Amino acid sequence: MDAEPARPLQSFLAAAPLPQRLGLRLLLAIGRRPRGTAFLTAMPALSQVVRSLLAMERYDEPGLSAALGFDAQQVVARGRALRRAEGRP
Amino acid sequence: MECDVCVIGAGAGGAVVAAELAEGGASVVLLEQGPHHDADSFTARPPQMLASLYRDAGQTITLGNPPILLPLGSGLGGTTLVNSGTCFRTPPAVLDAWRQQFGLQVDEQELDRCFTRVEEAISVAEVTPELAGGNAAVARRGAQRLGWSHGYLRRNAKGCVGSGVCAFGCPTSAKQHTGITYVPRAKAAGAQVLTGACVQRIATRGGRFSHVEAHLADGGALAVQADHAVIAAGTIHTPGLLASSGLGLASGQLGRNLSIHPATAGFALMDERVDMGRGVPQSFYVDEFAAQGIIFEGVAGPPSYAAMSLPLSGAKHAQAMARYPYLAQFGLMVSDSSRGSVHAPAAAARLLPGAAGRLVSRLGQALVIRYDLDDADLARFRSGLQRLQELFHAAGAREVYLPLPEGVAPASARRSDLRLMAFHPLGTARAHSRAGEGVVDSNLALHGVQGVHVADGSVVPSSLGVNPQLTIMALASRLAFHLLGAPVPGSRVEPEHVDIPCPS
Repeated sequence: MDAEPARPLQSFLAAAPLPQRLGLRLLLAIGRRPRGTAFLTAMPALSQVVRSLLAMERYDEPGLSAALGFDAQQVVARGRALRRAEGRP
Repeated sequence: MECDVCVIGAGAGGAVVAAELAEGGASVVLLEQGPHHDADSFTARPPQMLASLYRDAGQTITLGNPPILLPLGSGLGGTTLVNSGTCFRTPPAVLDAWRQQFGLQVDEQELDRCFTRVEEAISVAEVTPELAGGNAAVARRGAQRLGWSHGYLRRNAKGCVGSGVCAFGCPTSAKQHTGITYVPRAKAAGAQVLTGACVQRIATRGGRFSHVEAHLADGGALAVQADHAVIAAGTIHTPGLLASSGLGLASGQLGRNLSIHPATAGFALMDERVDMGRGVPQSFYVDEFAAQGIIFEGVAGPPSYAAMSLPLSGAKHAQAMARYPYLAQFGLMVSDSSRGSVHAPAAAARLLPGAAGRLVSRLGQALVIRYDLDDADLARFRSGLQRLQELFHAAGAREVYLPLPEGVAPASARRSDLRLMAFHPLGTARAHSRAGEGVVDSNLALHGVQGVHVADGSVVPSSLGVNPQLTIMALASRLAFHLLGAPVPGSRVEPEHVDIPCPS
């Protein structure tokens, strides 16, 4: 089984270009705090970015995702088995 | 290194050119900036896959009103690695417009043979209703009730089981992207394929191509001497490479004329179980309004993807996500009349000395893409969102969630209200028969320089109205045979042997 990353967004943020990386880290730091969320409501576009990223992180959690009908581990295991059985790359 | 042809980029254009040339007997070096991706590393989890399969983690963005996310694939296969696999031939009306507006001489029969050849190579076939999934069934029901033109999409897949994560690395390798089709063919025919090769400059001497200079992932440098260079770094990056090489600048068109097919998507809460994460995410289309520049295509994905794009917040978002199995989603794509541009500060930064140059280069490495939605495209989105709402209601939606701020109706949406993404950048090194109007000619040869050609979406001079991968691949095939000086053969598949009964 693949090791679970500490936070799924870490690799996503690390791979971003420098300006986006700095900006998104700052926004997420604000958005994870209750008072920060209230602060961001005055800036709808930025608030939307933060909400989207936090939602992606939350629903990427394997248990929650599987409970909603999508088990990533199962999808990957089936894919690997099919590739090996059929000799695909 | 020395070869006949150096190809830069292993996406829809470059991989095809490299394979056809190598199989035709040319010696080929194929340089790709990104890595080779092993399908064993695919996790079906969007945040991880965005980081590994996309350039800049999929965070390429246009600046303008509104800002638009423009994700690009990275690695062998380019964006074909992460697209939905949808395949359309270039619409005949678009080819006519190319002839009339851009003076392009494209032999339709020759192009047809190229399309056939590509379709066979990447196994293009129509999605079956069984694989299309519940999301397509919702859209189909709506379109049928409204009497709108619709159909299942054709796509490049073989042995697909509907894993639902085309955009995040196909775990079964069913999607026949160029990294597992044309690149292996190129290698088998003797082409040298180098990943992690970042091309810095296309060098010319006396008005003729001389060599390509590249940096390698291990820190080394590489020069490839060849008779021809084929640039296929993609619509966003090809202009920067040409500009930093001092090429393609004479017409003033380099980096301009960017079209992107801006797109958005809405959700519907259904009474039936949809399970959008199962089946082919993009399997169905509605083209009733294609003449107006509006086409609807399926989009879908795992919960984390849906949660990211669901246009709700707070408790409403959580309640809708708790009903994820009952959510349907469908996309709206516009054949745009808006035009943007690409600028490469990193190219200019090379002219700055020392630390200043390094700083500007580092900050500007993501390029500056400028794109503002024009009035006609805003009207298309207003109309399209209304139609999308109709489609969902006709399908029996309990609730419809359009990608607009709460309380904003489609008819009164402003540019800044729209949440757009785009997946089909085209046109930044457009083809035009006249050197003063375009960057390359009808045969995709750079105007004013011998031996340099372009074979990616940047040469496509207008918005297509349909997904462009097949057009790019067919044009790349055509270029390869022109370089070989050979006619484009018909089908690659040998006709089956048929026993003709002897007359008795």
